[in-house]
Amino acid sequence: MTATAPLHRPPAREGAVRAARRRPLAIVAALLFLLMVAALVWTARPEDYTALSTGNSTPDGTRAVAQILRAQGVDVRQTDSMAGARIEDPARTTLVIADGAALAQYQLDTLADYPGDIALLRPTQATLDALGTGLRVGASLDTGVAAAQCDDVDALAAGSVAVLDQSLSAAQGSTATLCFQNGDGEHAYAVVEDGSRRITVLASWPTITNEHLDAHGHAALGLRMLGRHETVVWYVVDPFDPTSLTWDGATSNGSPPPTEVEARPDFLPPSAGPVAFVLALAVGVAAVWRGRRFGRLVKEPLPVEVRASEATRGRARLYRRAGASGRATAALRARTAMRIGHRLGVPRSADRASLVDAIARAAERDPRDVDAILYGPAPTSDAQMMTIVDQLDTLEREVHRP
Amino acid sequence: MYITGWTAALAAAGAVPAAFLHERTFAWLWVLGTVLLACLDALMAPRPTGMGVRRVVPKAVRLSESTTTVLEVANLGRRRARGAVRDAWQPSAGTRGERHRMSIAPGETARLRTPMTPTRRGDRAADLVTLRLEGPLRLAGRQRSVEAPGVLRVLPEFASRRHLPSRLARLREIDGQTAVQLKGAGSEFDSLRSYVIGDDVRAIDWRASARRADVLVKTYRPERDRRVMIVLDTSRLSAARVGDAPRLDASIEATLLLTALATKAGDRVQVSAFDRVERARALGTGGPAVMPALADALASVEPALVEPDWPAVARLVQNRMSQRALVVLLTTLDSSAVDGGILDAVAAIASKHAVVVASVDDPELAVLEAGREDVHDHYAAAAAARTALEQDAVATRVRELGADVVHATPDEIAPAVADRYLALKASGRL
Repeated sequence: MTATAPLHRPPAREGAVRAARRRPLAIVAALLFLLMVAALVWTARPEDYTALSTGNSTPDGTRAVAQILRAQGVDVRQTDSMAGARIEDPARTTLVIADGAALAQYQLDTLADYPGDIALLRPTQATLDALGTGLRVGASLDTGVAAAQCDDVDALAAGSVAVLDQSLSAAQGSTATLCFQNGDGEHAYAVVEDGSRRITVLASWPTITNEHLDAHGHAALGLRMLGRHETVVWYVVDPFDPTSLTWDGATSNGSPPPTEVEARPDFLPPSAGPVAFVLALAVGVAAVWRGRRFGRLVKEPLPVEVRASEATRGRARLYRRAGASGRATAALRARTAMRIGHRLGVPRSADRASLVDAIARAAERDPRDVDAILYGPAPTSDAQMMTIVDQLDTLEREVHRP
Repeated sequence: MYITGWTAALAAAGAVPAAFLHERTFAWLWVLGTVLLACLDALMAPRPTGMGVRRVVPKAVRLSESTTTVLEVANLGRRRARGAVRDAWQPSAGTRGERHRMSIAPGETARLRTPMTPTRRGDRAADLVTLRLEGPLRLAGRQRSVEAPGVLRVLPEFASRRHLPSRLARLREIDGQTAVQLKGAGSEFDSLRSYVIGDDVRAIDWRASARRADVLVKTYRPERDRRVMIVLDTSRLSAARVGDAPRLDASIEATLLLTALATKAGDRVQVSAFDRVERARALGTGGPAVMPALADALASVEPALVEPDWPAVARLVQNRMSQRALVVLLTTLDSSAVDGGILDAVAAIASKHAVVVASVDDPELAVLEAGREDVHDHYAAAAAARTALEQDAVATRVRELGADVVHATPDEIAPAVADRYLALKASGRL
């Protein structure tokens, strides 16, 4: 029987070339799709949505001003961490601290020690205090356009700017030059000559963003404020950055800062990242290995199976819901009578009296008792029903006793 | 195509150089290189079209017994085929270890054995055979599935055959009753033999003794060559689960035991599985071929969710049975069966034949009826009592029509039916 049975062989599959010839459109579509995906992946850059970041081309970014500065020959470099600033020559560098939220005290201390020029965009009060500017920052309520009204060259060149979002006022004993006063007597811009360094503060920071740069004298003010030196180091404050500012000659012994400052908050060796990355990719490969099914799942045609007692259980629930204690008791009484009668050999056709007599004799009980148990009035409550059932059980045990 | 664990291991091994190079680009390159290598390996693997498979399936196995199916894998190509093969069966075929490693030289055939213990009666079908052929690097390979039909018939368990020896002994006792040479109902004249002391003097055949100058006694034996027809109800109610198997399975056990017993007793048995049409039948065979034929016929009988057609059952019996016979109806006595016309059918059959109606009881009903835990249980007991009363009423009406009623739990229905048969035989009512 085995010799005659034929061998089953896998059918030959259509060759790839022939399949392609049969459906050229599908192949072209697939290729185009692949090309498109590849192009998208190739050109995609991580989108920058940080406000005041030079990579951000949305309305609140500063990509425009950075591009113009670069076109003018200024080297604009944005750093992700303060330690990454690594300013080589503070005298020829403008350090931009943008969006001055939540700098820690030790970071402010290094900022105060920094000898070069600093430009503050959207400053916080803590930063202004740490740098000893004697300025107060507050919300600008009058957002109208204000003229320079001061003797700062840059401000005069700009002419007039709008006082947006924030404004500055001078505290007692401040040496700051405040410009662009609005109707409330508050200012958009200030310059503090602090010994060898110059601190410029632009409280009306939206003027330098992509959205407002082309209005009034915003572009002029921004470019003159930031373009004084050939290098701009731009730092947007990151609350998760624990490092402090680095510049050439910052350390007390005058040695240059380390070229590679690793200020990781963890204690893993430096190779942990790439190793974890390889292992993660290997997990993906392992998923493909385990996920490939060794042949299809096999179906099992299952028969319909219902418990035979389901109908009886359903009837029990109906009795219970309807509170049909009378009907339930009648069934149990009839069943008990039938069983006892069967056991005692009372014919089915026997009448009530003869059955009761036979049972009373067998159980050695008063026939009236037996009659009351088997044919008494129907119960009206569950408790009565349970009592009667108990009596029925007792009676049956007494009959079955010998 | 598929990849092996070696590919994953190779990809993970990239962690060692990555620890020294500190480069994420390297990680990408390493893993992509591994995947490319695996693809190349799969391309170099032998083609599955060069393989042939053939199933050698045993014809039948009894439920709860084990057997072995053989898968022959032939390598018709020119290269050694290394890899794995899966001999897939449906889950109730109960295969263990259906995945095999293989390494077959060109032109050779491997015989792979898969042990199986089916868990359900009926025809268990084989599914596809899946071949995995590894490439030379063992990183990946080609995978294809081949259609290779195979069916294993799983016969009913016939667990009730353990009751057979005791019932056969009883049968011989009925034979033995003739040793006392009492002619009675259910026995027929067998032969004459010499009188030995102890024989009943009433059995002496005086006429024969006169002829032979020896005292001869008549011996009798139970009637033989009676006809028995067993009708299995495969309708709606036979699908209900009683204990942990459908009611039909208990009926099949009873059928098998009764057939084995009646065949041994020299009677001729016909079996018909019926709901609205005849689902299976076994008739016309005698002797030792009866049991295998019957098991084979009943193997694939499944309950159908339809009402039984009782008038058709009555017609079927009348067509098949010209002489008086014992008709055993294996069904469910239920108040709903009365609406289906079982009483008329029993009346029609009982007018000509001896009828036994066998019904499989649900042991759960007894459990429900004994429940006294809380008020829910009391109502459940009442419902069970009501069901029992109704069944009893139906049984009474069937008895009034001149039929016998046997009802027992699934485990006991087979011996109960066999005992009733023996009782009928002993009393000569066949």
